[in-house]
Amino acid sequence: MTALFDKYAPLKSRVDIMMKIGKDALGVEFDDILSATRGRIGNREILLAGTNNYLGLTFDKDCVAAAKNAIDEHGTGTTGSRIANGTYSEHIDLERALAAHLGMESCIVFTTGYQTNLAAIAGLAGDKDVIFMDADAHACIIDGTRLTGASTIRFRHNNPEDLDKRLRRRGEIEGGNALVVIEGMYSMFGDIAPIDEFLDVTHRHGGYLYIDEAHSYGIFGPTGCGIAEEQGVLDKVDFISSTFSKSLASVGGFCASRHPEFEITRKVMRPYMFTASATPANICAARAAVEKVKSGRALRDNLKARARQLHAGLSEMGYDLCADPSPVIAVRRPNEAVAAMEWNWLIENGVYVNLAVPPGTPQSSSLLRISLSAAHSEADINELLEAFGSLKSSQDKLMQEMAGKLSAAQ
Amino acid sequence: MSKPTRDDIFEKIKDLLAPYNKEKREISLQSGIVSDLEVDSVAVFDLVMELEDHYDISISMEMVSDIKTVGELVNCVNSLLEG
Repeated sequence: MTALFDKYAPLKSRVDIMMKIGKDALGVEFDDILSATRGRIGNREILLAGTNNYLGLTFDKDCVAAAKNAIDEHGTGTTGSRIANGTYSEHIDLERALAAHLGMESCIVFTTGYQTNLAAIAGLAGDKDVIFMDADAHACIIDGTRLTGASTIRFRHNNPEDLDKRLRRRGEIEGGNALVVIEGMYSMFGDIAPIDEFLDVTHRHGGYLYIDEAHSYGIFGPTGCGIAEEQGVLDKVDFISSTFSKSLASVGGFCASRHPEFEITRKVMRPYMFTASATPANICAARAAVEKVKSGRALRDNLKARARQLHAGLSEMGYDLCADPSPVIAVRRPNEAVAAMEWNWLIENGVYVNLAVPPGTPQSSSLLRISLSAAHSEADINELLEAFGSLKSSQDKLMQEMAGKLSAAQ
Repeated sequence: MSKPTRDDIFEKIKDLLAPYNKEKREISLQSGIVSDLEVDSVAVFDLVMELEDHYDISISMEMVSDIKTVGELVNCVNSLLEG
């Protein structure tokens, strides 16, 4: 006879080791969030460099005013789904604004970014379709494929030739279509997809291309539409999804399509139909942020400059970085215990980054993952670099401490 | 190329598992890939891509989700090669 939670024993022992080393990196408690780049834990001010706040709009006065006004005008919540309680004018306005921005025929908004991919992929792929998914796709894409009756085949990360091979190997899809799912910029390494090449392969095989631009909408392209716009192929992409919780500094998500027939999926997508719609405050904050994105060239320029500054500084110190400069900079560490120890040292010294470990990372890697913001100044990046420099010079002492903590734990 | 036997497939899977089997545990047909060999879920899918390329077959993710042991993976590859 086993108890309900016995199955988590191996995970529990892994968490216990982490807790012997220091804090729970996946459950940090901030006492206060002071700005887009600063938080507080106890008496210590923390430089935030792991919150995906790419454009730094969380405290933007126009976005804050839009959210406050929405609450005054239309209340705190929608108390249910759009199919049951109806659609607010704010939902429609945001869908139209996003469709216009992307030059797409149709756009549907969702309550969270996670639900966006869950809903749209499940709505698009039927039993006879085959989904071809990048090997490094986010959990919400994987979970979306699980809600479908479609077969799902993984192809090698960012490798259009490998996709081509697997599409050919699968052969003709009788009575169905190929739906190819990739991301614009990948969240863990910050590496970027060759969308133009993926479009070519996908359309050559008669398939449809779906791109999750969660980490790239607002950040890339002349008007901030994402990597597809940056690579000059936005008008050929079949579906673009993204979230409101990164560059748009709100909560929610959207999927847009150049196919007007996409509208029919509102009647089948369970994570759209059977959950409460996004609140007026979230929708109006995102709507105000879309305008900031459209005119956000200066924000994007600063973000790029900060990424180059940090990437150059860390490279110079000899850190192993996972990709070229981008708003996500991942520092590869030798293993989970070392990464956890260093993560703890950083937060104790006033810097918050992400500890990213398998199976949430590609190549079973353990990472200190940094996400930058347009709100970061040159001085903020210098502060980050100083922290990583001190971390490097304290390495021997840190490893001794870790050995001590781990042996005491046994 | 003549059709590989179940033993050939088992040997190939053992080769491919080697880099993930960090504790160097003995691999049998009964070994649980995740439960006994402690291969993480993403690594299992990477291993499957290697098998797809080696045998020129398509193994979908939902097939992999049903596979728990090395023997079940051998059966899966064997049945796709027969199909």
